Amino acid sequence: MIQMKEFSFQYASGKRPALKDIDLEIRPGDFVGVIGNSGAGKTTLTYAINGIIPHYYPGDFYGSVLVDGMDTVETKPEQLAGKVGSVFQDVDAQMVASYVEDELLFGLENFGVPKDEIEGRLQEALQRTGISDLRYREIESLSGGQKQKVAVAAIIALRPDVIVLDEPTGELDPESSEQIFRLLKSLNETYGTTIVVVEQKVGLLCGYAKRLVLLDQGRIVMEGPVREVLKSADRMEEIGIHVPRVVSLYKELVRKDLFHGAAPIHTAEAEKMMQEVLS
Amino acid sequence: MKGLMNYFPGDTFLHRMDPRSKILFSLLICIACFVTNDLYVLLGVFVLDLLIGVFGGIFKQALKLLKGLLKIAVFLFILQALVVCTGEPAFYIGKLAITWDGLKTALLGVLRLIDITLPLALMISLTRMSDLSNAMVSRWHVPYKYAFAVTSAIRFIPVFTTDLNGIMEAQTARGVEFDTRNFFKKVGLIVPLCVPLLISSVKKIETAAMAVELRGFNLRTKDSSSKVAKFRLPDYLLLLLGLGLIVLTVLL
Repeated sequence: MIQMKEFSFQYASGKRPALKDIDLEIRPGDFVGVIGNSGAGKTTLTYAINGIIPHYYPGDFYGSVLVDGMDTVETKPEQLAGKVGSVFQDVDAQMVASYVEDELLFGLENFGVPKDEIEGRLQEALQRTGISDLRYREIESLSGGQKQKVAVAAIIALRPDVIVLDEPTGELDPESSEQIFRLLKSLNETYGTTIVVVEQKVGLLCGYAKRLVLLDQGRIVMEGPVREVLKSADRMEEIGIHVPRVVSLYKELVRKDLFHGAAPIHTAEAEKMMQEVLS
Repeated sequence: MKGLMNYFPGDTFLHRMDPRSKILFSLLICIACFVTNDLYVLLGVFVLDLLIGVFGGIFKQALKLLKGLLKIAVFLFILQALVVCTGEPAFYIGKLAITWDGLKTALLGVLRLIDITLPLALMISLTRMSDLSNAMVSRWHVPYKYAFAVTSAIRFIPVFTTDLNGIMEAQTARGVEFDTRNFFKKVGLIVPLCVPLLISSVKKIETAAMAVELRGFNLRTKDSSSKVAKFRLPDYLLLLLGLGLIVLTVLL
């Protein structure tokens, strides 16, 4: 779906490359979590996928980025938008309309979806994100989590193959954050949508993502299935990433020679582990 | 700003009408008010304005607007009454004569001010901004970029208000006294906040620009809108009423 080959990018205003020597392949149906410290290049990675780089921010672009076989340098961002839907960090800024319905219509109308199909697509997107009851609400009156769902609904109405999200839970409380990830997971599992999500809350991410990409200073340090990457929890801590607490607990138990099974990645597995240890 | 350009949701026949006819009707009333010098016509239009409020279900809003206009109206009335000094004197303030002519001109002026302000303000309260911009783009061929700029500006007002409040709260927590009673001191404290507000706004606008571009902003044409505004019987009747009013004022 997405192939990056020896990809490097340096913003025209930057002093060092924001991303360097990135080789990454994301297959259809993947659910990839991108983690790393601030300034590691996470947002830049999302920009490379949706074509904002190099079309919106100029700079030095090396290597290649292919999305479904299309070279992002040669393809216009709005053409790419049919494949890749983007949800930005600032949820207020990316809204265009005052009402939820108009927000969804904006993209549908722009891309010239036939007028008799629009109503169906609109309802489908609202239903898939579970916000059919918000259709006629004013966006300003919604909570942070609801706004985020509207942003996702506006994107999936366009039926992209890939959705790229930059810290979608940045300003949300834990329960709303879980809701957003449950939504992403259902889109991924039920409709096969490829998901690439940048997230600070590693613990939350590990419960939902299939694969992790760990960035540090513009390079991919680790990449692979969640369990594989979590095995190198020490390395993550070295870089300064908070490893999920269940993983810290696991490591402590292994160190004290109390547990010998596989590492847990969410609380349900951790509970099992503890039961085993205690029995 | 709050209350003036706000949309009041509802499902009255005025809400459902074509945005274009509502705007045109308001303009026709404006013209009629400028043409006429007849007190009764202006009073009639005043009643009509209030009727818009009643039928649109926003009578309270209409009264609020009237209250807002009152200060300007009183000022205008006194000014006009003092300036015009032809005709029979009605009464004297010291040596200054207030004439019947003066009072009449003042009353006309005040009524005219109210009559031309209310319809447009009320009609906008009954029209969704997006419907208005859609109608203007698809029917009057206003370039979409301009329509989008205007609707975005209105949409961003609450966003920036939230930002400003955030900055003010942060400053209050550090001991800045925004709750001072001294008006000039308060202004002096708020003005410097424009800099951080401007910076955060510019950042937001940049994200907004990228987001709309990725959602096909550049692909949009005047025919993109799925809601097509259409003149129906009530629209024609309303416009007829507006035109009739102009004819009446000319004949009188």
